[in-house]
Amino acid sequence: MRLVLVGMNHRSAPLAVRERFAVEDPAPALAKLVASPEIEEAVLFSTCNRVEVLVSTREAEAARVRLESFFARELCLGQLPAGTRLADCLYQLHDGPAVRHTFRVASSIDSLVIGEPQILGQLKDAWRAAVECGACGVILGRLMSRAFATAKRVRRETRIAERPVSVARVAVDLARQVFERFDDKRALLVGAGEMIELALEALRSEGLRGVRVANRTRARAEELAERFEAEAHGLDEIPELLCDSDVVLTCIGGDGPVLSRETMAAALHARRGRPVFVIDLGVPRNVDPAVNGLDDVYLFDLDDLSGVAEENAEERRRETIRAEAIVAEEQQNFAGWLSALQAVPTIRDLRTRAEAIRDAELERGLPRLGLDERQREGVAALARAIVNKVLHTPLSRLRREAEREEGVVYLEVARTLFGLDEEPDAAAGSDPSEIDADEGEGGDEGGGHGPVRG
Amino acid sequence: MLIALHQLAAALYLAAGVSGGMALASPGARARRASLVLLGVGALLHLSSFAFLHRAQPTPALTDLPAAASLMACLAMLAYLAFARRARWDALVVWVAPVGFLGAFVGALRLPHAVGADLFGSGSWPHAHVLLASAGLALLGVAGVAGLAFLRESSQLKHKRRVGARLPSLETLDRVNVVALAVGFPLLTLGVLTGMLWLEGSHGSPWSGSAHEIWTTFAWGIYGVLVLARFAARQSARNAALSAVGGFAFLLFAVIGVGIVA
Repeated sequence: MRLVLVGMNHRSAPLAVRERFAVEDPAPALAKLVASPEIEEAVLFSTCNRVEVLVSTREAEAARVRLESFFARELCLGQLPAGTRLADCLYQLHDGPAVRHTFRVASSIDSLVIGEPQILGQLKDAWRAAVECGACGVILGRLMSRAFATAKRVRRETRIAERPVSVARVAVDLARQVFERFDDKRALLVGAGEMIELALEALRSEGLRGVRVANRTRARAEELAERFEAEAHGLDEIPELLCDSDVVLTCIGGDGPVLSRETMAAALHARRGRPVFVIDLGVPRNVDPAVNGLDDVYLFDLDDLSGVAEENAEERRRETIRAEAIVAEEQQNFAGWLSALQAVPTIRDLRTRAEAIRDAELERGLPRLGLDERQREGVAALARAIVNKVLHTPLSRLRREAEREEGVVYLEVARTLFGLDEEPDAAAGSDPSEIDADEGEGGDEGGGHGPVRG
Repeated sequence: MLIALHQLAAALYLAAGVSGGMALASPGARARRASLVLLGVGALLHLSSFAFLHRAQPTPALTDLPAAASLMACLAMLAYLAFARRARWDALVVWVAPVGFLGAFVGALRLPHAVGADLFGSGSWPHAHVLLASAGLALLGVAGVAGLAFLRESSQLKHKRRVGARLPSLETLDRVNVVALAVGFPLLTLGVLTGMLWLEGSHGSPWSGSAHEIWTTFAWGIYGVLVLARFAARQSARNAALSAVGGFAFLLFAVIGVGIVA
């Protein structure tokens, strides 16, 4: 069984191309795919950064051609941008590289933002959709299950997802270094722009509740306050509001700082030493940098946050080395399982052949022995035990060797030695006396091939 | 047995410190949990070693410096473990375990040479004094360690550097400081009072004028001022951390350093 993956992502295709291939409901597309004779199983994975189809097949080349035409004719919504060739945007991966790619995607190593957590959930949704429409069988089911396990290992054993990389999340992360909890803290927002909203949403996700919005235009402050169940204030109320604000977020236009060292020092005095975390997202800056010199005030401006975000992204990139090692190990394990799967037909054929010979010989020999029912059962049990014992070692070894790359040689040898690709009669020899004659004195040890003598 | 248990406790504290350091450097909670377990087992062995104190020849009094330092370290570990049950305090193990190691190590090294107890038939006051004073010192030591961690983290944040995600927040460290001070100072006060009762019983006067008495009383007075500053004047968290570190350094000098200098 072969694996083929065809797809495009943020590196191989621009957004203008990727958006033409966005798939809302993968079920109809998957149904069409698995109806193709060359495709056994399929999973379709579509996010804003990638569209990929992974299939298992017995005819890799035919499946690849089918997937290319699937992208061009069935998945593409409308015309591609002028001068864009679909073939240049698609990548094709087979077998090991396809497995590795899937594991990397699940582990978020291949993501635009390395370590982002959403990708695993999206991949699980894709797998569920494939299972529900009957497009996912044993092989892709196992592959996806291993991909999820790999992703979990990567998260557990590396720091790939530990440090935040967006400015808003970095701000929250830094605030958590100052405050243990947010549900008993109060925040003051100076400004009412989009950046403030993003940072506020991140802080609210941590439990922050008491929010006041101060803005030059009171109407805009009231609008934001209404959305976040906050209070609206004017800029002139800032000194008073600061006294009971633990987190201060500023992002407002204007020439000079809206928060001076003196204002903050007065507020700190009133706060009796309780610390304040200040995030200044304004350009130019809204908070006098000298504020950071005050005890118990922790001020971070946009540059500071971006610096930490970049540092965190670099840390994540460094962690990908460890993550890649885990992916490689899991890929090898999966390849072993897949190879072992190739031994199944040979093992089944070998056992069937041996049992057929056993049954034929029992049928031919038992009537001549003149045994009663109990004795006949005893002889049949003896024959079954001999066949099982003779087969045990070669079958176990075949299973084990099949997990290795050169395992296919063992499978070929077994098929040739036991004539598994020939007709049963030709392989077993129609006249047992020929075997006896060939084996000479040692013929008795090969008695399994000949009739049971009385 | 006293020495063997001290040695074993010291080894476990050291292992807890190493494991705590590894926990900061590696993902996953396993190393962190292991360090706490090691510290807990070490503290229990350390505590149980004092049950064998009376079997040592000569029997070292708890008033003996190595024994007192060792008991103080043991109680500090137990106090820390009680605090560590709260979220993210467990990361402090990397700071706390070396203190336990030093206490147990000094105990193991010096206890065989300890001077025998000379308690003048003063009843239970000497042991009550050492137990209460050691418990107070242990908690004030925890406050000092928390203060040191606070100052380090605060400085990193002031310099726009991210603090490790597994380290406690400044708020947590400040709370450790407050609780340790609130419980530690009354224990120290009781330790000073029982010391005076011990002196009264043995010498007929609560004040002998020894260097130890003068310095520890002075240290107690300083802590009294710090407690007032913290709870009455609402000292800032950073100043409180500085005070906790400075106060504990002075207290250590008063209790241990003065004896060494003398």
